[in-house]
Amino acid sequence: MLRGMPTVAPALPPGSERPARGLVTLCLMLLALAGAGCARRGGCTGEYCGTVVFVTTPEPDILLPPSSQLVVSRDIADQIFLKLADLGMSGNTVGDTDFQPQLAERWEWANPLTLVFHLDPRARWQDGRPVTSADVAFTFDIYTDSVINSSARSALRRISAVTTRDSLTVVFRFRTRYPEMFYDAVYHMRVLPSHLMGTVPREQWRSAAFGRAPVGDGPYRFVRWKAGESLELAADSTFFLGRPHIRRLIWRFTPDLQVAVTQIVAGDADAIEVLGTPDNARRARAAPRLVTYPYPGSTYGFLGFNLRANGDTTEPHPLFGDRALRRALAMAVDREALLRSVFGDLAKVPPGPMPPQWWIWDSEIRDLPFDTVQAARQLTRLGWQASGAGGDGIREKDGRQLAFRILVPTTSAIRRQYARLLQQQFRRIGADVQLDEVEFSVFNERMQAGRFDAVLNSVDADPTPSSSISQDWTQAGIGLSNFVRYANPAFDRLAEQASDALQRDAAKRLWRRAFEILNDDAPAIFLFALDNVAAVDRRVQGVVIRPDSHWALVRLWRIPADQLTERDRAER
Amino acid sequence: MTSWLVRRFAASIAIVFAVVTLTFVLIHLAHGTPFLPTGDRPLSPEVIARLRAQFGLDRPLPVQYVKYVAALLRGQLGESFALRRPVSDALADAIPHTVTLAGAGLFVDFLVGLALGVYQAARSRRFADVALGNVSLFFNSMPTFWLGLVLLLVFAQRLHWFPVGGVGDPVLCPTVSSARCLADRLWHLALPALTLGIVGAAGTARFQRAAMLEVVGQDYVRTARAKGLAERRVVLVHALRNALLPVISLLGLALPFLLTGAVLVEWVFAWPGMGRLTVNAILQRDYPVVTATALAASVMVVLGNLAADTLYAVADPRIRIRSDA
Repeated sequence: MLRGMPTVAPALPPGSERPARGLVTLCLMLLALAGAGCARRGGCTGEYCGTVVFVTTPEPDILLPPSSQLVVSRDIADQIFLKLADLGMSGNTVGDTDFQPQLAERWEWANPLTLVFHLDPRARWQDGRPVTSADVAFTFDIYTDSVINSSARSALRRISAVTTRDSLTVVFRFRTRYPEMFYDAVYHMRVLPSHLMGTVPREQWRSAAFGRAPVGDGPYRFVRWKAGESLELAADSTFFLGRPHIRRLIWRFTPDLQVAVTQIVAGDADAIEVLGTPDNARRARAAPRLVTYPYPGSTYGFLGFNLRANGDTTEPHPLFGDRALRRALAMAVDREALLRSVFGDLAKVPPGPMPPQWWIWDSEIRDLPFDTVQAARQLTRLGWQASGAGGDGIREKDGRQLAFRILVPTTSAIRRQYARLLQQQFRRIGADVQLDEVEFSVFNERMQAGRFDAVLNSVDADPTPSSSISQDWTQAGIGLSNFVRYANPAFDRLAEQASDALQRDAAKRLWRRAFEILNDDAPAIFLFALDNVAAVDRRVQGVVIRPDSHWALVRLWRIPADQLTERDRAER
Repeated sequence: MTSWLVRRFAASIAIVFAVVTLTFVLIHLAHGTPFLPTGDRPLSPEVIARLRAQFGLDRPLPVQYVKYVAALLRGQLGESFALRRPVSDALADAIPHTVTLAGAGLFVDFLVGLALGVYQAARSRRFADVALGNVSLFFNSMPTFWLGLVLLLVFAQRLHWFPVGGVGDPVLCPTVSSARCLADRLWHLALPALTLGIVGAAGTARFQRAAMLEVVGQDYVRTARAKGLAERRVVLVHALRNALLPVISLLGLALPFLLTGAVLVEWVFAWPGMGRLTVNAILQRDYPVVTATALAASVMVVLGNLAADTLYAVADPRIRIRSDA
């Protein structure tokens, strides 16, 4: 224990003012160091010198494609690992005509259920070993393993086997014939090196050391990953499909989107895939050094009505179990006004559960109109009287108020804004809405358990409706992603027929009929479908952004020699 | 002194243990699931059940706690659910960044705070004192998060004097391999350290001013003046040393504030320290990381306080530490 307080101190000797001088010396040293930092260095010249810094808010969890679902992990892994073939710019997932060869130099259908790929003999792992058909078979085994639990596992369920014919020939056998057989065979899997990963126990794939320093076969090789800071890849000058022009790719991790946008506006980064808000888009457009690239988004958002009782999935929801009530509420929402208020011109009102990226987007799909008069009339017809005993304008029926709660994640400013605007719009027709704003982990827990009345959710959809719709809106998805527990056999049947239609026109017609049934049932109010805007530094040329995989074509970008900056040229 | 140190050390261990226990229980009792959907699809119930079993979350909480403490005593902090790596690796990456930032913040805090306090005391009740007092009150009342954003906007985005966040230039200086890169790190450190330090400096200045005013009225200061010493020497040499002693206590108290402030500052400046790690871990219900960061933070605070108390005793030889107290 300390006792006593000081009252007297001896005088310091005259030399005791030296700390101040020391401080000045330290400052001078720092200035000298900073001066050294300004010194120019020689370095790379020519066509293959550029460096592009991407800024991203999340950090990858692991760079092992079957084990991660994060978009940023996928974006980076796409530079390191190749698929057999990749989707073309058309986004057409039906048939094989719009796919570009990657590891497979060619392919043919041996019969309607057998697809044969011939690997490019030039393909090499970055440790020098050739890429073989055994790697492809190993990859299929990994992606379909229940222990690994890849998100692509369900998409691969219709492939019965992948076998090798010789070291460069691999055979895919399908259980049934359907339009997206080729897409399923090539799109979901990044081929993995069996000689490096074959001995790793499946239980350890979730956190395998390989995932923090991967060896791939793609245009870029892994250099370093500084946790929380950045991740760097270097171009593989021997890449068999052509040497990438940009020699260094760096991902910078910045947790806050506003700060990330500030970094790119200030020149501390070169590219960002999604600007997110109209204000950010304005800032990027106003920055002379940036070029903005709009592209169709893969996300749509909606207010979903829980069709089952809050917390008891065996009973219908006392309000939303009534289809007519859901329709009345849907008609009370001015979705265009909400959209303009929140997104400006960065989104569209979707004509159903679909992102702008999907080829089935059809603004002519029949939907419930915005009509508050009809909505009010419908509510009155259902017995919800506006002159309730409360006198607060909230409708009542049999002594019960028309009141419900909306579940919203606090992590999404956009959805919180939407929730407040919806609250106002529902109030106008006599519905009392309260908000349950909760952390994302709680949001997910409650959504999966069905503990909510209504939920403001958004879906980042697959490139094709056939997999997304069945998981999110059919009976097969109940207990998985169909959180509102919507079930209509007529819709399910049409969705299945649309997925199996071999002609796109026929499929589009079937999807249209399915969505009209869904819209009539109003299990949700579809509020927004995002049109994304990316921003990239003006010196970077040849920028093409593929909507389903933002940076998939980075290896084709380049920075002309006369526009290289010191940072591009710097050798380290 | 030795016995006092031993007792303080034992008490420190008890405090750290209590913090870990409380954090462990609270984070496990909090709503939310640790196995979030990391992409567009949620994990299936079977997979969640398997992961819960794999990480022992299917066991009763007391059993989990006993296992955790046993592992902790063996020096094992477990594996992060979200980061997919050992927690010790994540901490080893984050702690140096937080220590650097907190240290730099502390440096700014005390350098600016002491200088201002001394200057204000020397000009007590004059215009400069009143003006600086109001300015320091303004900064003391300012949320660090907001101050950080303003500094970023003005000095990084508008004036381009400083970089917008991060610990270094990932292009030119991914590692500290040269004097140039050391300078780059310091350049990146400047704004976050200022943000963290300035708010604290405002409080330190007020504290130091009061301490100085108390000391300058003492007899020995009057004696120094009567001997004809220059005012500068009287203030800086005779008065300041004694006025510094109460500030040593402030040093111990400043550490928790710096660590909590660092959470927000790290977020704004994309500083990959413990604050950012903790926030992400809490949001993702990454139990092992949350508990480990609480452990690390409590150890740092307890050691900081222990150091401050020891320093206090060392600084003033008249202070006696009673072994029987």
